[in-house]
Amino acid sequence: MLGHWEKAVNNFGGDALKSEEFVRGMSAATAATANMQANTHQVMERVLAAANLPSRADFDDLARRVAGIEATLARIEAKLGSGGPDPAKPRPSRSRKPPSKAS
Amino acid sequence: MQQTATIDPISAAQGEFERMMARNIKGLNYFTSPAPVVGATPREVLIERGPMRLNHYRPMTDEVYRVPILLVMATTNRGFIFDMVPGQSLVEFLLRAGFDVFMLEWEAPRSHERSLTLESYVLDFLPAAVARVREETGEPDVSMVGYCFGGVLSLLYAALHPAQGLANLVTFTTPIDFSRMDLFSAWSDPRFFDVDRLVDTFGNVPGDMLYASFDMLRPAARTAANMRLYDNLWDDEYVKSFRMFERWNTDTLPLAGEYFRQTTKKLMWDNSLYKGTMTVGGRAIDLGGITVPFLHLAAEHDHIVPREASAPLLGMIGSPDKQEIMLKGGHVSLVAGGNAIKRMWPALANWLAERSI
Repeated sequence: MLGHWEKAVNNFGGDALKSEEFVRGMSAATAATANMQANTHQVMERVLAAANLPSRADFDDLARRVAGIEATLARIEAKLGSGGPDPAKPRPSRSRKPPSKAS
Repeated sequence: MQQTATIDPISAAQGEFERMMARNIKGLNYFTSPAPVVGATPREVLIERGPMRLNHYRPMTDEVYRVPILLVMATTNRGFIFDMVPGQSLVEFLLRAGFDVFMLEWEAPRSHERSLTLESYVLDFLPAAVARVREETGEPDVSMVGYCFGGVLSLLYAALHPAQGLANLVTFTTPIDFSRMDLFSAWSDPRFFDVDRLVDTFGNVPGDMLYASFDMLRPAARTAANMRLYDNLWDDEYVKSFRMFERWNTDTLPLAGEYFRQTTKKLMWDNSLYKGTMTVGGRAIDLGGITVPFLHLAAEHDHIVPREASAPLLGMIGSPDKQEIMLKGGHVSLVAGGNAIKRMWPALANWLAERSI
């Protein structure tokens, strides 16, 4: 019963959701959300600048620089020879055969 | 013949009453207890860079197949769908079957990582993962196993690196003809959908927005799932399973903005992978150049990647050893849950075992 209802609603909803009217409405809603986000972003930028506080762009810039430092550290670490198999790790032999071929 | 057996109304009412009481008690428990711990198979993180995480799972047998497996997760979801809980984990199943298992999964890209592109994934993250697996195992080749869009990334990698360390390629529920993904195709109609404005405004595309899109593919599914949950609240196993899948479903990852812009334009708008005009980093993608053994596992009732969207894939692969297996189930139940344990996991392990020596 529930399964039938679910299938019917999904089929009906699927058809409605791919109609041009729905897609147009959905795109308009997404555009409105994007506009609102952009306006909020602009206002917040001004508020943060007036309060002499770092903006999101400043934090992004810092994050990018930290990521650069991490990448450099990883390269140094690799050159120092920490890469490669760890001898302390268990190393099973790599000779397994499929059941039919093993017998 | 008429059925003569009668149901005692008193005992039936008693049974229903007991079930209702159990439902109420367990229902309370549902809201006060933590969700089951997922992704707990012992592992070591080999690479943690940007959104990329490469895990190596601890082998569970003394002797493993020569060729290691690299699972490649879709960029929209967490990798624990492959490693739910003991007994319901593909990773654990493969380990017990004697494979050496690695998984490439993703974290949410951070704000400054909005500039990551398809090239970042196909020409940087995947090659780095393959190189690390080769270094870790000492083996020259790996079996790559990609799920959904992880399958698309695996195909792009395989097409661009035909001679670099790939022993086998397996994809699950992987779209190739994006025009046949009806709803996604309609929603991203270039006449209405302004992907540039979306990416320029948000940077990364929010996970909530992607989750809402997936959710809308089956508008009644959530309501029906909650009704089934209420009906089965007395059943601990059902509730546990529901919570695992619900957690995975709702934990949709944001996508890096440029990557989303590219995939929308190249795949959804131009359908370039299917038409053979796809390029990554300026290099043409020719799926006919993939000559390693290839397996595609498709789901009969896949609501995300309908059959029509993945059907042409097998014919486009150049390998002489290629196969498609169609299994009962949906996009998610193909890889996890009761169906997967019975059907997909053994099929995958058997196919790989023959080609991993």
